Amino acid sequence: MSYEPPITDYDEIVENCTCAFCGCNCDDLDYLVKDGHVVAVRHACRLGASKIMEDMDQRLIVPMVRGANGELEEVDWDTALDTAAEYIAKSVRPVFYGWSETSTECMKEGIELGEYIGAVLDNQATICHGPSLQAVQNAGYPIQTLGEVKNRADMIVYSGSNAMNSHPRHMGRYSVFPRGYFRQRGRFDRTVVTMDPKFSDTAKMSDKWIGFEQNGDYGFYNAIRAVLKGKKLTQNVVSGIPAEDIYELVEEMKNAEFGVLFFGLGLTHTLSKQRNIDIAIKMVMDLNRFSKWGLTPMRGHFNVNGFNIFMAYETGFAFGVDFSRGYTRYMLGETNTIDLLVRKEPDCFLVIAADPGAHFPNGANQHLADIPVIQIDIHWGPSTELADVVLPGSFIGVECAGTSYRMDGVPIYMKKAIDKPETCRDDEWIVRELKERVMKLREEPNVAPKYVPNPAAE
Amino acid sequence: MHYANTYLDKPVVGDLEEAATEGTEKVLHCMLNTGSDIYQGACKKRGSTLKEEYKNASGTCYMDPRDMAALGVKNWDTVLVKTDYGEVVVNAAKSRDAPHKGTVFICKGPWANTVVSHETYCCSDPTYKGVKCTVEKTDRKVLLMADLMRWVYKKYVDETDDDVVENMESLGELPVYKGRKWEDLK
Ligand code: SF4
Repeated sequence: MSYEPPITDYDEIVENCTCAFCGCNCDDLDYLVKDGHVVAVRHACRLGASKIMEDMDQRLIVPMVRGANGELEEVDWDTALDTAAEYIAKSVRPVFYGWSETSTECMKEGIELGEYIGAVLDNQATICHGPSLQAVQNAGYPIQTLGEVKNRADMIVYSGSNAMNSHPRHMGRYSVFPRGYFRQRGRFDRTVVTMDPKFSDTAKMSDKWIGFEQNGDYGFYNAIRAVLKGKKLTQNVVSGIPAEDIYELVEEMKNAEFGVLFFGLGLTHTLSKQRNIDIAIKMVMDLNRFSKWGLTPMRGHFNVNGFNIFMAYETGFAFGVDFSRGYTRYMLGETNTIDLLVRKEPDCFLVIAADPGAHFPNGANQHLADIPVIQIDIHWGPSTELADVVLPGSFIGVECAGTSYRMDGVPIYMKKAIDKPETCRDDEWIVRELKERVMKLREEPNVAPKYVPNPAAE
Repeated sequence: MHYANTYLDKPVVGDLEEAATEGTEKVLHCMLNTGSDIYQGACKKRGSTLKEEYKNASGTCYMDPRDMAALGVKNWDTVLVKTDYGEVVVNAAKSRDAPHKGTVFICKGPWANTVVSHETYCCSDPTYKGVKCTVEKTDRKVLLMADLMRWVYKKYVDETDDDVVENMESLGELPVYKGRKWEDLK
């Protein structure tokens, strides 16, 4: 990498903006703005800075509809919205997927449309922390805010999460390095442990690396729980870790004053999936017999947690909510996007602020090649290659204000810093327009038939 | 206008200690993991997905140097990764997290998608990690994102033959669409 001179040529600084990238939602960024463009970002990490100074070559600016020869053609907003609304109104099993990179205000419009038409609403949790949400339903949610971590925690455990790559400022801003009220010396007052089969960049910065075997997480946590309950391990090596090391680790964990377990996709994507998180939550419960412990999932997108909180509040279910029967339903393995796509059920797919083209397995995406796909996004991405209607949205936290929820569930209002390109619209406006147009095309809402307990008797 | 630069041609990887030889194995049996790293994340969210940069950040198989020696591949040679779910041609590079002999890592993205398992075991989440795979050396090129999407899904081409689609004229590193307004606006 070459040396980059600092940017000195700018018109104004917009202070205290919120980063719209990962679940850390760093809200201390300064944007340097020139001629209505962000030319540099202060305080952000590499990820945040690169997203905010977006690639204008691939910015979606004008609505597009796929023509007869399979090429995207620029059209006006009315045509694009009408085409999209028609696809939605005509469908029997629409799926509205995404929402994690847009504002909670936009979700509000989305849920109204979904309920009216009988769609499935799902977000990226379905392919990342879905198992964590299930485990939370199974076992509980011993969470704390990141502020508590900063001020109190003296033992930090990262499990199956490479924070230095996926949440680069997490260690610096919340968990490991900052000085807190009870941790005046910052890093020196904290012990950091990373559990990961790989010697990841996070492991390199930790005091201790526990490299259990691939898929060995479940066995390893069980061993910790057994030791916590005062049992002796009968094997010398559990999941590739010598028994002495487990005893030593448990002793350290018991003696921590305030410990926090941050876990990532390393736990949710391996074979035991939600059972891994179940056992991690139970381990945290066991640890609370000795000391104060909490845990937090390392949520990926800046508002993926927002959708889950919003949906749970509105419908009672956090993700994969199915309105097709006229009331809300949630069934794992049935009303989730990947399962629906693999079973080839949906006949219309709306993707908003997400990229299934880049993140769904081939086996699921194949179905997107057979059905109409409507995309609301800010950049031309892999999903655009599969999209039939493209509606250019605006960039939350930069071009448009909105609310998002941090990984620990703290809502943060993200302010607007610059104007959006003239022909783009806010996501909220787009979804509202779609809703109104669909309602015109389909006059009857999708409601459950009246419940008759014993039809024969009537 | 001078923008602060966040572009990077290729992820930074370590040099291999030994010069590549012929290699001792034709096909390696490995465990495939996928996930994100900082290069992939930065490039994807900036929106540069059509570019060469995304191809290198996301379409790269990070390997243990001993596995690379066994196959006889150098940094940025191409390898063919096959699983029960599909196959894909990606770059090979030395892993920053080595040693992890027998395990390879491909960042998430359209390339990894073609080889990971869509099996959710009724848990909503497909199996992105811990998929058995084989890795072999190849002369085929790594496709750019748009070409790869065309090759895998064939949504807007009439051709059904994989080899023909693979060798079609490239869609390039800029959006392909019909219209002018967009250009005027920039
Ligand atoms: S850590 Fe996350 S929220 Fe903070 S600047 Fe980096 S990408 Fe943005």
